[in-house]
Amino acid sequence: MKNALRNPAAYLMFIIPTIALYGLFFLYPMFSSVFYAFTNWNGLEETKFMGWANFETAFGDRNFRSAIINNMYFIVFSVGLQVPVIVLFALLISNVKRFKGFYKTTVFIPSILSTSVIGILWGFIYDPDIGPISAGLKFFGIEPIYWLADSKWAMIAILLTNAWQWVGFYIVLILAAILAIPKDIDEAAAIDGANATQRAWYLTIPLIKPIISVVVMLSIAGAMRVVDIVLVMTNGGPAGSTEVMASYMVNKAIKYGDYGYGMALSIIIFAFALVFTAIYQLTLGKTERIEY
Amino acid sequence: MKRNATVMLTLILAMSTLLAACGGKNNNNGTASSSASSSASAPASEAASPSEETVEPFTVSLRHIQIGDPQKFRKAILDEVVKRTEAEVPGVTFELDGIEDAVNRFTKLPAEMAAGNPPKIFDLFGGNADALKYAKAGRLLDLTPIIEELGIKDKFLNVFGQFTLDGKIYGLPIGGSVEGVFYNTELFQANGLNAPTTWDDLVKAADTLKAKGITPFAMGSQAAWVPNMLVGTLVGRYANGFPNGIVTGDVKWNSPEVVSAYTLYQDWVKNGYFTKGELGKSYDDMLNDFAAGKAGMMFDGSWRSSAFKEGAVAAGMAGKVGFVALPALPNAAGDQTSLNANFSNGYGFSSDLDENELKAVTSFIKNLYNDEMQLRGLLEDGVLPSMKLSDESLAQVTDPVVKQVLDVMKAAGSTFVHFDAIAQKPVYSETELQLQKLIAEKASAQEVGDAIQKVQEVENSK
Amino acid sequence: MPASLKKTIPHIVLMVYVVIILFPFVFVVFSSLKENNVEIAQAPFAFPKALYFQNYVDAWVQASIDVYFWNSAYLGVSSAVLGVLLAAGTSFALTRMKFKFASKLIYQVILLGMLIPGNVLFIAQYILMMDLHILGKHWALFWPYTAGALPFSVLLIAAFMKAIPVELEEAAIIDGLSAPGLFARIVLPLTIPALVTVFIINFLGNWNEYLLASFFISKDALRTLPTGMVGFRDAYQTNYALICTGIVFSVTPVLILYAFLQEQIIEGITAGSVKG
Repeated sequence: MKNALRNPAAYLMFIIPTIALYGLFFLYPMFSSVFYAFTNWNGLEETKFMGWANFETAFGDRNFRSAIINNMYFIVFSVGLQVPVIVLFALLISNVKRFKGFYKTTVFIPSILSTSVIGILWGFIYDPDIGPISAGLKFFGIEPIYWLADSKWAMIAILLTNAWQWVGFYIVLILAAILAIPKDIDEAAAIDGANATQRAWYLTIPLIKPIISVVVMLSIAGAMRVVDIVLVMTNGGPAGSTEVMASYMVNKAIKYGDYGYGMALSIIIFAFALVFTAIYQLTLGKTERIEY
Repeated sequence: MKRNATVMLTLILAMSTLLAACGGKNNNNGTASSSASSSASAPASEAASPSEETVEPFTVSLRHIQIGDPQKFRKAILDEVVKRTEAEVPGVTFELDGIEDAVNRFTKLPAEMAAGNPPKIFDLFGGNADALKYAKAGRLLDLTPIIEELGIKDKFLNVFGQFTLDGKIYGLPIGGSVEGVFYNTELFQANGLNAPTTWDDLVKAADTLKAKGITPFAMGSQAAWVPNMLVGTLVGRYANGFPNGIVTGDVKWNSPEVVSAYTLYQDWVKNGYFTKGELGKSYDDMLNDFAAGKAGMMFDGSWRSSAFKEGAVAAGMAGKVGFVALPALPNAAGDQTSLNANFSNGYGFSSDLDENELKAVTSFIKNLYNDEMQLRGLLEDGVLPSMKLSDESLAQVTDPVVKQVLDVMKAAGSTFVHFDAIAQKPVYSETELQLQKLIAEKASAQEVGDAIQKVQEVENSK
Repeated sequence: MPASLKKTIPHIVLMVYVVIILFPFVFVVFSSLKENNVEIAQAPFAFPKALYFQNYVDAWVQASIDVYFWNSAYLGVSSAVLGVLLAAGTSFALTRMKFKFASKLIYQVILLGMLIPGNVLFIAQYILMMDLHILGKHWALFWPYTAGALPFSVLLIAAFMKAIPVELEEAAIIDGLSAPGLFARIVLPLTIPALVTVFIINFLGNWNEYLLASFFISKDALRTLPTGMVGFRDAYQTNYALICTGIVFSVTPVLILYAFLQEQIIEGITAGSVKG
């Protein structure tokens, strides 16, 4: 009777296009990466097998190490600072009665814009000569800060821009989870005399822990693969101070023409992402079931 | 008339040293021959097909870097050439693709070359890291037969040094340039300053301007090739045999001479001689700061002279701009009268042209590389010609800055090329990174020299 | 008094945040209507002295933003549509058809794709595009965009399809429907909410993608909005008013679209992330 669902031809028809695309554009590049990572391939000259040389170079490469540290900044900043702020704002929005829709709609706006346009927009905001921030500082008699030109500030400037873009997105995610909590639980607690802060802390936050966990995961993943905003705003500069792993990999491959080395770097980035995900899953994220 | 003849002579003399500089390095490995064969067969097939035959429409991609306002004169010349070529070759449409200079040179073109799909016509720099590298890989069209067929080979000055591999020419420089100091004559007069023709005057001018709250040198180091121009000339002042010696090992980046050049640069940074926040300033910002009188001087290529004419971006500066060579440095070992001069930028062509594309390319070359366009380039755009122009033509130069550029060339004892034409790509990229670190005061001059030399030795041993 | 204060404080905090969100837009719109850099620098917060619309004419003529916009739009839509359809078909086969072992294996392999940070494949994909001779064409973006979205899409749609009651399809099969018929006539319509979600997420991803677009496409006429705008900035880097105009052009259509679809977009994305 269920023959229709055992028809191998139909099964293949549904499966093969996906597997073919996935295999060609994902699996094949992944395996070819591994091969090229052991060569000095540059597209122009004869390719030689290099053994582990590229990987040895990578771990001795000071610039790559500082790129790794910059990715760590992204993780620390987005998990350590952004997540609490996100939760706080989500709780605030869920608690107000008026303008709830307005807030929800507005905070989400930056997330629909393309990162590169945001990079251009903020490059302008940070401009020391005519940008509004330096005009504001001038008003208080403070010397303009060379946000993107000063290696002390450039990383912070990018982190803030990145936060501006994504905080609203995560607020909306958490807000959805909060609003999905049945009303009567909250009301019962209120009748028992719990104030809003207590209810938020003891009731809402434990209930939305799974989604907070998702947000943390997404933040870590985002911090590991961040690249667009860096390429557009500083291209890793000034003096390599904002270089992240992915931008360094792209620049090494394209600008220096060293594709083999770039491949080795990309394998290392993949390994990093894997390790971080695993660590998180095994420790903090252990109790939750992560789904997205 | 006599003066123009001398100018001519200097041009030729100057550029012959270029050829000597690059000639030695062109070792051969046979890959280039594949590109030669495609073009060699072309004239014959052209003759075979009658011209009235209807041709399928086809497009030729053309990558140029003449975008934005400062480049508009160059763009106008290119547009005219494209128009004429389209009228001349049946069926052809040019697809112009303009992108920013550094993006093309350091990102797009290298990636396309590695992938083997460059545009058919593209803006190309000469030297080991660009034209010669691509030529070795067989990506560039051998232009020797085309310029011979067009009869223009001998019309060029001695300008092919950075584009010649095994006696074959792989790129046609559109013009030449020298690098030196532009200064704001009005500002200098108002502050009682002499033209920066001696080192003492230059330093005095910088200190005086600084004290007045004016930036001594406009600088835009966001892309490090810009400050690298000044570095190139400074190192040339200190170290004999630079830049050719870096690939032979005769000049070391961490030698005391080169390090003193970097030290001087960092001292200037510390003294506040350059635009504040230069690492965030673009090349165009640099021009703007100079044009707005925010800065008294800038070290730049002579091609910038076109910005100071009627109708150009910095037209307000017309008549107020002086140009001198970087003055002689006291107690430095290099040739103090030498000048950084280059015929390094022009057009290259893909080696995989079909018959029609080759016709279009030949016509494009004919329409771009001729007396008329060379003269237009010189008069409208301040580009020193890469081809021989008559004395009458040269006498038409009225632009005061271009005249000074020609004087500077005349006075030069010798010339040397920019080190981006000599250094291998990873080395040049390292100089950019290290220079930015030096400017950010994250590395000392010695550390910079050591870091670059390390990459240089790896490349030299390849 | 304290009660009303308690009510106002969250609003004050939130309003500050809203101002931070909106301020850059206002600033950019003002600046785009100013005549030159000097006017922007002198009064960055002020309303323009006279509304200078010439920037809009100039930017439109010089930047071909309309071309970039349509390139982005059609690439974004077409690859998101294809991705959703493929993922739906695959999800149907994996969850409803009776090839348990194969399905489990395939599902795991696809799951693996979720772990690969997209951009590490960048160079390898570049070489692949080169070998396929589609580098520099829109196909070079279309296929990676489509393929790149598959793991996530399959995951989400499969989760949704698992929940469809068996009785429905049994009835349909008794009526003589084949597997493709069952998929197209029964399962697909039931899955539409999940499909819309996946479509929106994929579309926004494609619409905003920069890295591949900037290296796989060279010709100006083929550029997408993110890379086209960066090229525009590079060309007019010191004309801030003109750049601001470019930003306004590139952002406005998205904002208008968002104004109409904000319910669906927000619902879609939250549904995708929260339920799954």
